[in-house]
Amino acid sequence: MSSTDKLSGSAPMRKRTGTVGMGVAIGIAVVLLIVGIAGGYELGTTLNKSSSTSTIQLTETGSSLLYPLMVSWGPNYTAYNSQVVLAPESTGSGTGQSYAELGLVNIGASDGYLSNASATSLINLPVAISAQLIYYNLPGISAHINLNGTILAMIYAGAITTWNNPLILAAQSPGVATQLSAISNTIVPIKRSDSSGDTFLFSSLCYMSWSGWPYKYSTSALSGSPWTGATGNSGVVAALQKTQYSIGYVGISYESTATGLTYAAVGNDATLANGTYAAAGSNYVLPSATNISQDANLALTHLQFSQYQLALSMILGGTANGAINITLGGGGTLPPTGETPYPIANLEYTLIKTSPTGTTVTSSALAATVHFLQWAISYGNFAPNGSPSAYIDKVNFIPLTPEVIGYDQQELASVTT
Amino acid sequence: MSSPDPSTPEVREPLPASGPEETGSTPQSARSFLARIVPLVPALIPLGIMVAIVIALVAETGFTNFGIEFFSLHWDPVNNQWGIGVFLLGSLITAVPALIFSMLIGLGIAIASTTYLPRFLSQWLDPFVDLLAGIPSVVYGIWAFIIVAPYFGSQLEPWMVMNLHFIPGFGGPINTSGLGILISVFILTLMALPITTLLIRDALRSVPRDLWESGLALGATRWEVVRRVAIPHGRRGIFSAAFLGFGRAFGETVAVAMIIGTATVLPKNVYDIGNTMAAQMFELLDSAIGGTGSPQFLAAIAEMALVLLGISLIVNILGRRLISSLYTQQIQGL
Amino acid sequence: MATPTVSKSILDSDNIRYDASARTRWRLGFDRVIGWLLPLLFVVAIAPILSLVYYISARAIPSLSWQVITSTSPYQTDAMGVPIIGTFELMLLATSIAVLLGLFGGIATAEFLSERTAGWVRMSANLLVGTPSVIVGYFGYFTFVIFFGWSLSLLAGTITLAFFMTPYVFRTADLAFTSVPSHIREAALGSGARPYQYILRVGTPIAFPQILTGIFLAMAIGVGETAPIVLTTAGGKIPPQTLFSPVSWMSSLIWQNFAQAPSTGLPTIAFQAAFLLLVVVVSLNVVVRIISSRYRRRLEGLYA
Repeated sequence: MSSTDKLSGSAPMRKRTGTVGMGVAIGIAVVLLIVGIAGGYELGTTLNKSSSTSTIQLTETGSSLLYPLMVSWGPNYTAYNSQVVLAPESTGSGTGQSYAELGLVNIGASDGYLSNASATSLINLPVAISAQLIYYNLPGISAHINLNGTILAMIYAGAITTWNNPLILAAQSPGVATQLSAISNTIVPIKRSDSSGDTFLFSSLCYMSWSGWPYKYSTSALSGSPWTGATGNSGVVAALQKTQYSIGYVGISYESTATGLTYAAVGNDATLANGTYAAAGSNYVLPSATNISQDANLALTHLQFSQYQLALSMILGGTANGAINITLGGGGTLPPTGETPYPIANLEYTLIKTSPTGTTVTSSALAATVHFLQWAISYGNFAPNGSPSAYIDKVNFIPLTPEVIGYDQQELASVTT
Repeated sequence: MSSPDPSTPEVREPLPASGPEETGSTPQSARSFLARIVPLVPALIPLGIMVAIVIALVAETGFTNFGIEFFSLHWDPVNNQWGIGVFLLGSLITAVPALIFSMLIGLGIAIASTTYLPRFLSQWLDPFVDLLAGIPSVVYGIWAFIIVAPYFGSQLEPWMVMNLHFIPGFGGPINTSGLGILISVFILTLMALPITTLLIRDALRSVPRDLWESGLALGATRWEVVRRVAIPHGRRGIFSAAFLGFGRAFGETVAVAMIIGTATVLPKNVYDIGNTMAAQMFELLDSAIGGTGSPQFLAAIAEMALVLLGISLIVNILGRRLISSLYTQQIQGL
Repeated sequence: MATPTVSKSILDSDNIRYDASARTRWRLGFDRVIGWLLPLLFVVAIAPILSLVYYISARAIPSLSWQVITSTSPYQTDAMGVPIIGTFELMLLATSIAVLLGLFGGIATAEFLSERTAGWVRMSANLLVGTPSVIVGYFGYFTFVIFFGWSLSLLAGTITLAFFMTPYVFRTADLAFTSVPSHIREAALGSGARPYQYILRVGTPIAFPQILTGIFLAMAIGVGETAPIVLTTAGGKIPPQTLFSPVSWMSSLIWQNFAQAPSTGLPTIAFQAAFLLLVVVVSLNVVVRIISSRYRRRLEGLYA
């Protein structure tokens, strides 16, 4: 073990380095740090000019449900207007809302309506209609079973634990009820691990349907629940396929991937009071283009109600006897006669600023954004002959209804570039 | 005996910042003083980064005081309960077994590679193991979720329940999706393995050849030389391997988030779903910064990050103490 | 470095084996059995890699072609050209900064600090190495994107990733310079070398391969990181034009696309990006191997 000899003359001086030297060094480091921070700030504010090249790049981030649609819209819009390129990202509805609020991206995509949007000079612009399916894995049962928001809420809250629970059986048609009564297995609910607009949607459904729902509604409402979580819609589908007697909520774009699974018919009439259910066969609706559109339009009217922060058309059982009294203000509207809206439909929103802010939402970028969104709600949704466009079909969405388009035009007019 | 083996570092005197012709006269001492300071500044960079991170996190917490309930077992943001106990325990029960397994396997591989395998074989096999280190975690996560989890859920776990149910924690209901604690430990072991293997291999390789061969010459078998000469000699390196491996397993985020099933209650057995702090932070970041998150959400996540850093700090300090005490033992042993 | 011999014990020679006691025979037998069992552990490490690489390649290769890799057209959804350029640019910038900070810091720590201070600095470097990348990413978001006002940009991502990679380079430089044999160090200093002369002329050539290895390893780890970049950059469809432009990063691409429905064709993009990243990581590892083995021979002579 050799150690180096002290070099002559340096021993006494090294002692001084130990304390004062360290102090001066730390002082210099702190000064450099402050200069660096000030410089960074300076850099951010004065040198951050948008490039004056001819191509405008619109950054979009947010909902993973809207992402595939944005991806297929982007190149086609650039073919239509070669000056503008769309750069979509899938980071989650919460991020989309937050980044749009902070002016960090041009377009924020969200599955849920942002209720206090005007506070941060944002507007909600629905650009497509999506729906959510309730899938289950029940060996031996291939029919669509009937469920409604209340039952789903009770399952995910742990109040209903087995498939042959009398509350579930009461909602079924006689044939399905007999089959289901033989299944005494425990229900395995699957939830989303990541923050998700689908969870927002599903928890909203549960929240408005059952007064005993403990989790409220948000993109991570179910994070306090003990169920198995999977990442992404495809994760939920995979988990459902692997786990028998499971149930889960999946966005409609993933319908084609859910081989081996069946979706439920969801009731839009939650007339529940103290355990009694609507008689079998009443208003359990399978998702179809018509049903979903009807629901979307109802959602639109609710956008005007300040007490409904949820743009879902939760058709509650009126104010008649036996209606649930929920904190949202109770009651609701019955659907217009002849309409059978599918309850878990939602509008896919984009959030944009109403006037240029900061370095990303510049005047030219905002103008390009408005132009793009106008393209999206027209050519993006409809083929020239009026049928749904190829982009919409590819992701299994429903094109916008005329009422929604009207609402959008109105909102877009309020944007000042 | 001047080979630079890491197990017995010499005391190296720091360079004088100026040449050896130093005297005490004023102008030169001022210059040399500065010359002494200047090199110290870049050395403080990691310290600076660490401090910056801690400051940013503390600022983000908004100094919300969650009290001691922050460590309780109830996590329910909606009802204002912010107990991260489940995640803390989850991080520990996934990282510690992963560390143990990766150390054991790493030791085995390193011993095989340095002692038993002919050079041309170990030359080719070692890089394969090192390759494990470079694979992005998200790729690990995808592979684990799609290929490994079904195998676990349908083959491995039923077999284990049938044959190993007498071990506490190995019986009980299985989660047929395959996600949960068991697969997370498996993946974390794989991710810590290249680190432990590399460090142990370096530690064993740095044993001086004469020490090794004298053991063999005295009539010991290869295994005995490894056990009684090489491993004690490389103790420091092996302990460093353990601490670095633990750090990797403890802090792994993306891969774990995809396969652990994200529960908020403690797992009932090894097959059950669980959660770790890093995974939970990553999953919930979107909610926290989103429009539907409460400001306390961000604070909770920032404080979770600080707890993570705190634990890493403690483990690091303990590690340093342990390793340096091993060093002094070695010196005294001479 | 001294490579232990693989020769067997002298006990294993023929003339001893037959006369040996039972205990000795047991010891020999045990050694032989272990000699077969331990190498089997390699399977535990290698089988997963093979499975993983096969799985990724099987999903990626069928749709990969030279055209896909080099196309930067915004009209082609699965064009890999823009992500590759973006990843390359970001890596280049981040690595430069990380090397600058880490190299200076590591050399300074190894050569100029007293053991006690060096201990603290090394501990903070070790802490940083063990920090989950999501925390570094979150720090980057809060500091650079929000506080500095840089928005989601190439610059924010670069600095954040550089902060993440610096500790690796730092540790490697530190280790490399402390393992310069002390007799060489003393010889240089004793011959009258100034500190900077020692570092430049003597230390660096000796430590160079190890430092280079460390840089490439830091790059391999950096290129696979998702969280820090997702939190500090916005994805781009065209190559970054200024430091404040959006930039497309391959790991982000994987994270965002793998969970989409296969009918959209997006998971294929994720697998393509994963495959390309694997190629990059393997190449970096191969380069590291080559450097190590070439310079190992050169260094053998340094050690008595």
